[in-house]
Amino acid sequence: MSIKTASSSSSELRVVLRRRRLDLFPIYLLIPSLVLITLINLYPFAAGFYYSLQDGTLLQTGAFVGLQNYLDLMTRPEFHNALRFSAIFALFGVFGSWAVGLGLALLLNRDIPGRGFFRVALLLPWILPSIVSIVSWRWMIGDQTGLVNVVLGFFGIRPIYFLSTGEWATFSIIIVKIWRSFPFMMLSLLAALQTISLEIYEAASIDGASPWQSFRYITLPQLLPISVVLWILMTIWSVNDFETPWLLTQGGPSNATENLSVLSYRYTFLLNNVGLGAAVAFFTMLILMIFALILLRRQQREP
Amino acid sequence: MTRHQRRLVMRWSLFVLMLVLVTVVNLPIISLILNSFRSTSEILSSRSFLPEAPTLENYAFVTQRTSFGQWLLNSLIMAGGGMALSIMAATLAGYVLSRFRTRFVTAYGTGLFMVQMFPILLALIPLFIFFRTLGLVNTYYSVIILYTVAQLPFATSMFRAFFDGIPVDLEEAAKIDGANRFQAFTLVVLPLAGPAIAAVAIFAFLFSYNEYLIASVFLRREELFTVPIGIQQFIQQFSTDWGSLMAAAVLAMLPTFILFLFIQKYMMYGAIGSGVKG
Repeated sequence: MSIKTASSSSSELRVVLRRRRLDLFPIYLLIPSLVLITLINLYPFAAGFYYSLQDGTLLQTGAFVGLQNYLDLMTRPEFHNALRFSAIFALFGVFGSWAVGLGLALLLNRDIPGRGFFRVALLLPWILPSIVSIVSWRWMIGDQTGLVNVVLGFFGIRPIYFLSTGEWATFSIIIVKIWRSFPFMMLSLLAALQTISLEIYEAASIDGASPWQSFRYITLPQLLPISVVLWILMTIWSVNDFETPWLLTQGGPSNATENLSVLSYRYTFLLNNVGLGAAVAFFTMLILMIFALILLRRQQREP
Repeated sequence: MTRHQRRLVMRWSLFVLMLVLVTVVNLPIISLILNSFRSTSEILSSRSFLPEAPTLENYAFVTQRTSFGQWLLNSLIMAGGGMALSIMAATLAGYVLSRFRTRFVTAYGTGLFMVQMFPILLALIPLFIFFRTLGLVNTYYSVIILYTVAQLPFATSMFRAFFDGIPVDLEEAAKIDGANRFQAFTLVVLPLAGPAIAAVAIFAFLFSYNEYLIASVFLRREELFTVPIGIQQFIQQFSTDWGSLMAAAVLAMLPTFILFLFIQKYMMYGAIGSGVKG
């Protein structure tokens, strides 16, 4: 009796074991990625957080200071400034490039002669090296002999020093950001547009829907899921964007266009204050994670 | 007007509209190219859009008096290395994410998405200190590894979307024919992934070739500079020499441009892969 119980429970155990047996094949294939990500993302993640709790420099680790760097940040005006500018930069950059990208995607989705050429030509701002775009933009808007001011002068408008005042520099940098980002939006939205079945539009037009109504009640809802993903990605990329503000204005004039990435860079590599720089970077990541989680949750809840 | 004529007018007015839009959007690039054929003094004084006295002087200066060729070679090595390594790692990972649904794999997929939120600077600070102790600052290796990892999330999700579109039946058939799972992947699925690999290769190469921040942190000797860092030096060294600066910028965008023309048709595919997946 007791033997029988033991054997039956051991065979049950075997079944359970077989079912639970770890399949190592997928893990083998993941090893290269796992090693790289552990070394280049997870290790710096932990180390970066640890550095943010110290007052070290690039050359030597400092004393453990707890949350002092974070408390210090909260009292610094340049941090508040970077937080505000990052939000403005992301908000206008994301929606601006989304709107421009959507408009051009809608145009490209129509039957226009030379459509292939236009699509390719509109991708150029996106594929160019950031330094090349910035060099050309700096000349376009840099001073009174730049192309934009020449054109404005043609209409009798006095030259505007786009990179010399805080407001104009903020405006210019957002425009340049939109210019560099809209092609990605356009391409992704165009791809999504082409998956919408034409039958839906035909049915709607038979029911008497106007073009605007078709757009509002068919196109936009169909584009919403991909748009949410694009908004999340673009927000992350904008907040983490170092190159556009750094190369265009170096965060100036007087920190007006300094986002969190530029601030972190300045603290770390120019002022040699690793603790503060790491604290800014870690804080940035926390904000982005919370933001992305909230949006993703929302999206998952409404299928 | 007949219906046909109305449609024709509509089509061609849209064509004109697109032509205007494309020109306006590309105005910075067009003016950059035009300016590269002018002397600096003409750039600063002339109000004409077209060069009045076209010259190749700027190009001669950039190619003969600067290390531009070396920077270009450095860029190709580092962008190419990052591209090759990220494709190797990402095809494997993308395949796993597409075919296996274990808890570990799902967690990896979520983790990979989260990694994209990582501010690159947060990684650069510890890595700079870490690589310096290993003596890897001012070497190709540090930059290549970082380029590889920076592209992994994007590349993996593109491959995953691509493999999702390949029916599992193909692998099942290969297994019946006696292939093991690894062979089913390398001999049956991977050969079908040519277009996806091409698309990811463009994205990966463009990312690395265009990248500025990582290179500027890790490459501090002129003979190791990539093209963007070299041009940045240009702005500082020759602050008023717009002519050479613009010629250097035009030369810098040539490789990008050529590669892009060869394989732009895959770009649409890439956007579908990364986008619609959502």
